[in-house]
Amino acid sequence: MTLVFQSLRKVYGEVVAIDGVSTDFAPGMIHGVIGPNGAGKSTLINMTAGSYTVSSGSITLDGKRLDKLKKYQIANSGIARTYQNIRLFDQMSAIENLEVCFYPAEVAAAWREVIWPPYANAQRRRRREKCMEILRFFDLQGYADVDAGGLPYGRQRMLEIARALVANPRVLLLDEPAAGLNHHETAELTAKLTALRSPDRIMIVVEHDMDLVMTLCDSIIVMHHGKLLFRGTPSEVQASTDVQLAYLGTANDIDDIRAAAQDRRAQLGIRARRRS
Amino acid sequence: MAAADTLAAARPPANRTISWLVFAIAIALIVATPFLPNYHVRVLNSLLIYILLGIGLNIVIGYTGLLDLGFVAFYAVGAYSYGLLASPQLGLHMPFLLILLVAACLGAVTGILLGIPVLRLRGDYLAIVTLGFGEIIRIIINNLDWLTGGPQGIARLDKASILGIQIARPIDFFWLLLITVLIVGTVVWRLERSILGKAWAAIREDQDAARGIGINTTNAKLAAFATSATIGSIAGAIFAASQRFVSPESFTLQESVLIVLMIVVGGIGNIFGIVAGAAILILLPELLREFAEWRILFLGLLMISLIIARPAGIVPRSFGPEKLIRGLFGK
Repeated sequence: MTLVFQSLRKVYGEVVAIDGVSTDFAPGMIHGVIGPNGAGKSTLINMTAGSYTVSSGSITLDGKRLDKLKKYQIANSGIARTYQNIRLFDQMSAIENLEVCFYPAEVAAAWREVIWPPYANAQRRRRREKCMEILRFFDLQGYADVDAGGLPYGRQRMLEIARALVANPRVLLLDEPAAGLNHHETAELTAKLTALRSPDRIMIVVEHDMDLVMTLCDSIIVMHHGKLLFRGTPSEVQASTDVQLAYLGTANDIDDIRAAAQDRRAQLGIRARRRS
Repeated sequence: MAAADTLAAARPPANRTISWLVFAIAIALIVATPFLPNYHVRVLNSLLIYILLGIGLNIVIGYTGLLDLGFVAFYAVGAYSYGLLASPQLGLHMPFLLILLVAACLGAVTGILLGIPVLRLRGDYLAIVTLGFGEIIRIIINNLDWLTGGPQGIARLDKASILGIQIARPIDFFWLLLITVLIVGTVVWRLERSILGKAWAAIREDQDAARGIGINTTNAKLAAFATSATIGSIAGAIFAASQRFVSPESFTLQESVLIVLMIVVGGIGNIFGIVAGAAILILLPELLREFAEWRILFLGLLMISLIIARPAGIVPRSFGPEKLIRGLFGK
């Protein structure tokens, strides 16, 4: 009962962005996806969430095929995501950004909200309470009625994660959640994400901040040129020479690279750190 | 947070004054109307029809964020429903309420028919296609002589009556329109606050992210088009009944543009904004009638100054019916 990629490929004309990735993600764990820029990390997320089509191969969640579904159907199958560049509903208040997520479950009764005010009030109150609870978890309750576009950057990142959680998704895809956050905010994010780990939730985090990935994730896959290069625990990833090489580039002169990798390892311990 | 609290505490008195002022003016106008000369009542009726049209179009433009320049097509569908079903043209003389129902259904169907091909379009592209759609409907009406009477239109429409009460004088139509505006306005306002209204707003803000949280944007947009078209069509049927004459001339592109302008000047996405926008763009030209050609210049200048002074529209988005009720009855 997991999220499974089977020989997944994504091709843009001549360019192969994802080249036959097969792997699976178990629930109850936080999975990290790392790799140099252009390795195909975000493409994986975008294909899983239905933002991009799948060229060949398949994505299944608990045995159910996802890759042939429309984006909103994928969302309603229990996949939620955040975006590399924050995509909130800017001119809606923070709490409305969350409330609107009840649409798939409640739109069928929208006409009752129109003709029967007590029902509408009860629905609105219930939605608001549920969303307030989520906002409180992210310390955003004070911003509930502020337009999302007007929130500080760090709060917007949090709000986007909050929005992804409203539908209580099976799979939570986070595309660079720490991008642009300061140290304090990153620490806060780590704490929140750790608290979100639950036995039946699959969390996948694409991230460049290696400190965050190494502390947060239970399992890491390393992408390189659209291929799955390595898969293991954070310590296994840190010990892998292949990963070191991938991060330092693939120029022709392999000896130089190896020397550079050793130098770097000597200097920095093991942390390869890159930010886009 | 402290600053926000003080603001909230300071606001109610001002809000209360404005709410009562708005309320008082509306009541005074309604009470005075029966004593006004017919000409003035007709102007008010035309104002109410445009408010109705504005409320309808606002669903697509203001709530869902889709620029529709062909709204007048639905107005025409409603007007010709009445023209054909209650006149010697086809020898049909159906009751007014039944025609209203037929017009509403036809409006919804045309709304969906327009909606399906333009689902993928946004912004300028959508505006051009809907503009074309509006013109297509008008040109079809203009050329379908055997059915619609072509450019001559259809004359001698039946007098409307509801449950035996004849609606013929301008003041009768005033009450009919007022009730319709109140009902339609309330329904649309409640729709906007419902979960569907929230989804419309999400589509307006970021369509792709809206899909990402599980919103079937196709259905939500078609619902917006259908609701909006239904209202336009109802307005058209009442318009035809009050004029007792329909012709393609009433449904030119200029009408669509005027309604869009009303929404933009008044304040996009706000029902009260539409009332304000309609008041300026419909009443003002009437009041300035004696200045003949100069009034276009006046209107132009007014438009420019409004857009400079209040680019978001006259009525702020936050001052909606909810604020008014709260202002009137406290809490």
